[in-house]
Amino acid sequence: MNEERFDELMRDAAQTFRSPPEADFDGMWAEIDRRTNVGADAPVRTRAFSSRAAWMALAATLVIGVALGRASMMIGRHAAPQVAPAVVARAQTAQRADSNTSLANNPYEAETSRYLGQTAALLIALPSEAKNGRANEQFVGRAGDLLTTTRLLLDSPASDDPNMRNLLEDLELVLAQVVRLPNTHNRTELELINRALEQRDVIPRLRTAVSDNSAN
Amino acid sequence: MSEPDLIARVLAGDRIAARDLYDAHSPRVFRLAFRLTGDHALAREFTQDTFVRAFGQLAKFRGDSALSTWLHRITVTVVANAMRKVKRFRERETDLEDVHPIGSDSPGVDPVLRERLHRAIVDLPEIYRITVIMHDLEGYTHTEIAEVLGVAEGTCKSRLSQARAQLRTALADLAPEYDT
Repeated sequence: MNEERFDELMRDAAQTFRSPPEADFDGMWAEIDRRTNVGADAPVRTRAFSSRAAWMALAATLVIGVALGRASMMIGRHAAPQVAPAVVARAQTAQRADSNTSLANNPYEAETSRYLGQTAALLIALPSEAKNGRANEQFVGRAGDLLTTTRLLLDSPASDDPNMRNLLEDLELVLAQVVRLPNTHNRTELELINRALEQRDVIPRLRTAVSDNSAN
Repeated sequence: MSEPDLIARVLAGDRIAARDLYDAHSPRVFRLAFRLTGDHALAREFTQDTFVRAFGQLAKFRGDSALSTWLHRITVTVVANAMRKVKRFRERETDLEDVHPIGSDSPGVDPVLRERLHRAIVDLPEIYRITVIMHDLEGYTHTEIAEVLGVAEGTCKSRLSQARAQLRTALADLAPEYDT
């Protein structure tokens, strides 16, 4: 009897003695994350490598594109005597126009098209990839690569068009937020990204740009 | 994903795996830290310290015991070491009501008796208090407590028995039938 009553009192204590309150686990994690260096090296190395790879790829694309453009012009000049003079004149006129516009711009256009498609895919996948305010390393790595490309394109003739420039600037902002996601683990951060996407109408503009670029 | 895989990923530098590991274990670590300290801010601080230390020493975790046991051992060590310092600052200033707020009341228990028991638990020697809190309040088994505290299971049972005897004695004047 005594033992039973004592056990009853202890069971009551299990409910009432220092009954644990609600805890801010996200806040605690933010502090732990700040104080530890779990993975501090790996993702940075990955992103740094990817950034270099993106730079190299874009630079290579531009160099090859310009070289092809020049080579086309030279081939055009050498090939002209074998064709009727009228055709040569028309071809040369067209070729000059092409080489001044599309051939010179093709490297940017091709790169821009590829970039826009990849960015659209990434941002559309964002809500499912970044559940609970977190995104996996690979996803964030891709966002980092696209952020680098965005900045390169902002400094290139691809951003001569004001609409494209505005879109690239908005994408730079959003991608920079996505890249920060693994460090914050914060739902608020994801909400801010979604709000930025909505307020700036980014996805519809991106889709329009993708289809416009494909048409070109 | 299995726990060994998760640990391997954390050791390889995967922050997401580190967060998953934290999500899986932090509620119980915080709960234990709060039961041992009775202070929300301290429990929060000690939970953070536990995981900072755990991630720093994870490479040394050999898997001889469950990860939870290893984490709770760190928690108890962190809390015990820190509370000795905290106590020195707080001695004679402690207001029992502030330090361990009473949770939901259960019917049938005399509030005065309850209050006396709570005070008696707080006043137990540390090794008894930790054992009572872990076994009677948090439901750890003797095996788990023995692993966490690094003592034999028999020692753990003996400590619990001693602790309960001291609690009964503390309640004796209010409820003589408990002191047998």
